[in-house]
Amino acid sequence: MNVVFAVKQYVSKMIEDSGPGMKVLLMDKETTSIVSMVYTQSEILQKEVYLFERIDSLNRETMKHLKAICFLRPTKENVEYLIQELRRPKYSIYYIYFSNVISKSDVKSLAEADEQEVVAEIQEFYGDYIAVNPHVFSLNLLGCCQGRSWDLAQLSRTAQGLTALLLSLKKCPMIRYQLSSDPAKRLAECVKQVITKEYELFDFRRTEVPPLLLILDRSDDAITPLLNQWTYQAMVHELLGINNNRIDLSRVPGISKDLREVVLSAENDEFYANNMYLNFAEIGSNIKNLMEDFQRRKPKEQQKLESIADMKAFVENYPQFKKMSGTVSKHVTVVGELSRLASERNLLEVSEVEQELACQNDHSSAHQNVRRLLQNPKVTEFDAARLVMLYALHYERHSSNSLPGLMMDLKNKGVSEKYRKLVSAVVEYGGKRVRGSDLFSPKDAVAITKQFLKGLKGVENVYTQHQPFLHETLDQLIKGKLKDGQYPYLGPSTLRDRPQDIIVFIIGGATYEEALTVYNLNRSTPGVRIVLGGTTIHNTKSFLEEISASGFRGRGAESSQVTARASSRR
Amino acid sequence: MASNYPPPFDDPVEVREGFLCPLCLKDLQSFYQLQSHYEEEHSSEDRDVKGQLRNLVQKAKKAKKKLLKREGDDRTDTGAQERYESFSYGGVDPYMWEPQELGAMRSHLSDFKKHRAARIDHYVVEVNKLIIRLEKLTSFDRTNTESAKIRAIEKSVVPWVNDQDVPFCPDCGNKFSIRNRRHHCRLCGSIMCKKCMELVSLPLASKLTSASKEALASHTSPNSSPNSIHGSRRGSISSVSSVSSVLDEKDDDRIRCCRHCKDTLLKREQQIDEKEYTPDIVKLYEKLRLCMEKVDQKAPEYIKMAESLNVGETTYNLEHANDLRVEVQKVYELIDALSKKILTLGLNEEPQPHPKTLQLQRMIRYSATLFVQEKLLGLMSLPTKDKYEELKEKRKQEMDRKLHMERQATLETQRRLEEKQKDLVSRSTAAPNGEVPYPKRGTVKKSEGWLPTSSLPRQREIADPLLQQIDNITSFIKQAKAANRLDEVRMLQENLRQLQDEYDQQQTLKAIELSKRQAEEEEMQREQLQVLREKEWEREQHKAMSQHSRTRSLDFREVKQHQHESGKENLNQIAQSLDLDTTQMKSSPSSKTPSPDAVQKQVPKENSVFPIKPREGPQYIRETDQNQTLLLNPFEDEADTSQVEDPANTLARDSSQVVSLPTKALHSDKKEYNPFEDDEEDQQTNGATVYAPNPFEDNGNSFQKSVNDQNSGNPFEGLSSTNPFEVDDNEISGEDIIEEELLLQQIDNIKAYIFDAKHSGRMDEVEVLTENLKELKRTLAKQKEKSKC
Repeated sequence: MNVVFAVKQYVSKMIEDSGPGMKVLLMDKETTSIVSMVYTQSEILQKEVYLFERIDSLNRETMKHLKAICFLRPTKENVEYLIQELRRPKYSIYYIYFSNVISKSDVKSLAEADEQEVVAEIQEFYGDYIAVNPHVFSLNLLGCCQGRSWDLAQLSRTAQGLTALLLSLKKCPMIRYQLSSDPAKRLAECVKQVITKEYELFDFRRTEVPPLLLILDRSDDAITPLLNQWTYQAMVHELLGINNNRIDLSRVPGISKDLREVVLSAENDEFYANNMYLNFAEIGSNIKNLMEDFQRRKPKEQQKLESIADMKAFVENYPQFKKMSGTVSKHVTVVGELSRLASERNLLEVSEVEQELACQNDHSSAHQNVRRLLQNPKVTEFDAARLVMLYALHYERHSSNSLPGLMMDLKNKGVSEKYRKLVSAVVEYGGKRVRGSDLFSPKDAVAITKQFLKGLKGVENVYTQHQPFLHETLDQLIKGKLKDGQYPYLGPSTLRDRPQDIIVFIIGGATYEEALTVYNLNRSTPGVRIVLGGTTIHNTKSFLEEISASGFRGRGAESSQVTARASSRR
Repeated sequence: MASNYPPPFDDPVEVREGFLCPLCLKDLQSFYQLQSHYEEEHSSEDRDVKGQLRNLVQKAKKAKKKLLKREGDDRTDTGAQERYESFSYGGVDPYMWEPQELGAMRSHLSDFKKHRAARIDHYVVEVNKLIIRLEKLTSFDRTNTESAKIRAIEKSVVPWVNDQDVPFCPDCGNKFSIRNRRHHCRLCGSIMCKKCMELVSLPLASKLTSASKEALASHTSPNSSPNSIHGSRRGSISSVSSVSSVLDEKDDDRIRCCRHCKDTLLKREQQIDEKEYTPDIVKLYEKLRLCMEKVDQKAPEYIKMAESLNVGETTYNLEHANDLRVEVQKVYELIDALSKKILTLGLNEEPQPHPKTLQLQRMIRYSATLFVQEKLLGLMSLPTKDKYEELKEKRKQEMDRKLHMERQATLETQRRLEEKQKDLVSRSTAAPNGEVPYPKRGTVKKSEGWLPTSSLPRQREIADPLLQQIDNITSFIKQAKAANRLDEVRMLQENLRQLQDEYDQQQTLKAIELSKRQAEEEEMQREQLQVLREKEWEREQHKAMSQHSRTRSLDFREVKQHQHESGKENLNQIAQSLDLDTTQMKSSPSSKTPSPDAVQKQVPKENSVFPIKPREGPQYIRETDQNQTLLLNPFEDEADTSQVEDPANTLARDSSQVVSLPTKALHSDKKEYNPFEDDEEDQQTNGATVYAPNPFEDNGNSFQKSVNDQNSGNPFEGLSSTNPFEVDDNEISGEDIIEEELLLQQIDNIKAYIFDAKHSGRMDEVEVLTENLKELKRTLAKQKEKSKC
């Protein structure tokens, strides 16, 4: 169930199969990111892969002493490029791997292009998704839906990605989907269709309890992607943005040249692996330890380099030292920037109110707090807009809803039209009308008491009190309590036992907060393994982009209230 | 989670306490509430309660740890603890999910091959048809044949398309007229205009046809070099330009053809070229990989040795480890040099290589650097000689203590066992007879009552079973002699001889293997030399040539010497075990430097690990025979040996000095000993000593001679790869240091050898070694100077 490992195994197998000798890896845009997520350059160099080329690159030289490993998505363009390549081969031997099912006719046209008999292997290796963490994958698709229905190209890509995931993990699952979402149903059907069509591929050893694929829709929980985050990975993504494990730091003031772009990969960065799920405060102290550890080493080497033994020890430790200094400077920079942004944008205060909006039901206090923050000049327009969005989502139908007033405040604050429109767009996207389940008010007595007690006693950490809605869904799923009415099975058969291997997929994108939730669930529930996927991994910014891309434009600030009412009447 | 907020947040610190539900962390107000809550909410959950409890304990620990942390307690400790704890929750961290098998895959290869085969057949037939026609067209002497006749032959090869059928050029669409005349492709008979016409030059034609002929005869084609290919290509291009001015129909040295046929032919030509041509980078790269494999193979061996040596074990020999270290480092330098060579391939050529080629070269260099960095990191250092002695001593004491305890226990039981078995075994008529090459030690002991106790502690250390046996039997012989049982002595001696034969055989085999491997390596190294000689080397050359070469060759000999040494030590050991007096005699000088006992212990072991040179075998047997039959101790007296030495050394130029000095004096004055002997003289000495009357000496020198022979056989450039100045510029300081360290280690080694050699009375060796020592010291001084400036 480890998705990083699954893709890595595929890539390793490709490289192994091609035997010894210098190699070039021919990829397309998407497979490049797929491979880069699981292999670092130095790692792959040691397997004699020295060049990385794009199949569509025109600037490739003929190098007959290289073996070519082609890892491509089976798209029309790629097949065409490959045909051109085989007609005039630039490398000595070709090992071709498609990341998904390829049609027989494409195989035929490739075979006919291979007049010089340079192809030694042609296979399907189903590494057709971006493996983010061992339990998280993404497809890097933005704007997968138009309104409430799929963009067809994106649908087929998503179905391909999901089936590839199932194949790479060797799972033939039962499928459940969120009833309230039409895209979820469509996707479930598409996946089912592929499984039926390629039944030979999906013929795996049966496990006692069949695995389960649960397909959800982002619109059911529009709150989670709107919150500020305080755990390392999520926070970095929220404030700086993680793109295929890469972080762009070029806008950080006074950044040194080699830190413009840094890679945060749990696979090769021990500090990151140990700290990615810890909260900001813990990281602060850990990074201090790291620094101290580093400094303890440093002067020792510079102190006494008199004896030969000292010098030799220095030389032998030097690469390690250098590596460590790289890690230290990277994390110190990242954490430093995070804390700079946090204080500059007054994020602690903002986040506290966000959490209150997301988790508590005290309208008047929430309203007051939002208003207070809107007056604060330190709060950016982005954060101001998101506070109002959260308010709008939560108190959409509250009797004393005062959204128009807040919208006026936003306008007075000078928040741009774009963001003000987005407030209503968010409500349109994930408002009560759309939601299949209740995000805010607790459903049963237990939950009510829970919430009551929480309110009474206070919480351990104000900034991380929010639990994504996914947590409850999965919790119920694991306990076997998830309602069939809301999340029906596709097809007649249902799961009688509690599920063990679960794959959750969120149309419209998952978040790192949810990744953390799944991580904790994995760790705290023995015998259950959960993998989380999404069309992409969102932060607030990308989430808002997704909403605009999906065609939810909003109607301007003043009319949003009308929209909400009008829609509720329908 | 019971976490609290340390700075940077200034929030009120909040620790949750009270009646927390372990599952949902909900705070219940009282114990009863908690209990009922647990029963209500979690009773249905079949969770691993133990896991939950552990969870709770972990949390408690964590909280405690946090407190500790705040108090500024040991931080690294808690860090490690934390890492450990992250894996010990009730569930499983996704990183720790059990390994899965490779995901599904599907091959289309058979399908692909089916389609391709159909296509290829067609293609191959086409190409072959063209080549057969080309052959026919070139099979006669074109220059001396009339054009009409040529045309007739050409028409017979392939039927020409009728002129009337083709009013327009099929390629460019121009209308044919008197000015725009029709041309026929000689290979397929089709028509095109002049502009679209291509030409095949005769050299290209012959190349294509001959290649296919060769392919038919299944020959490898070594003749046409890449240069000639270029020539032919250029020829075809020039012929195109020249032909445009000539309207003559007759083509002396070229064949007209259409674009399609030409394309096919060119493709074919390219294929032929590629088959023959391996670029430099591939050759270098292959060598590089070879070196890397060697490191992968040797480095673990070395690390094992170094680890064992660093704890003071005597499993391995320090010198051997040193040698191996030098060897591995040499390979590293080779890797470095090779990859650098790859990096700079073609940089000085015009035109500059394609950027992708350069990128490839850079990447190879980068990966080689990574490789060296990573592996060199694991290459731990060895203890110095003194340190090692210290370690050894410590360990020995420890072992002794343990051994003592053990022995006391085992002795008891053994005695009882022996008594029981004694009459039982004695009934079976045959005492271990001569036919068995490996008489069981146990049986011998039990039946005859001989205990190999005299050398018991030493034997524990000996790995080679054969050597163990030899040792045992010698001690049996001694005991038997003491007991005056002559028949048994005879039998045992017979046994011993067989064992030794067996051992010799084994050693010879190993040695043959080793020498083969060495020959291979040497050859490879020599090949590298040409490539590797670099500027720095030249810089050194302005120094006196002779001196330089001596440094090198001596350096090399040092390594050889060592092998030689080990062989000798082994010999000593056997001799000693044969003679009781030896140990007594040894005891006096042993107090000075490495105790000979310790050395002895190592040696046999080391033999089992590192086979000795072939010459060692025969020498060894002669030696032992001698000892057996004559019972003569070659080490009986130091004065004795030096006397024996005298005739040998008189032949040397400096002999007077040597002879006049008693060995003891030499021992102390070794630094004054004339180091300015050159190689030639050295050999003279050796050559002379070969004729010395002492058979013992004789052995030693033939030995040495072969060492020298080897020396001359191996050009000293062979060591230029060790040249410390060849290292990468940015690494230079580090490498220098290592080199220096190595030198120091070597010096230490040689000092030990000198002592040893003197001890066993090998004066000629002492000479050579002392000279080595001087040389080494000089190089060290030079290095130091260099590193200073």
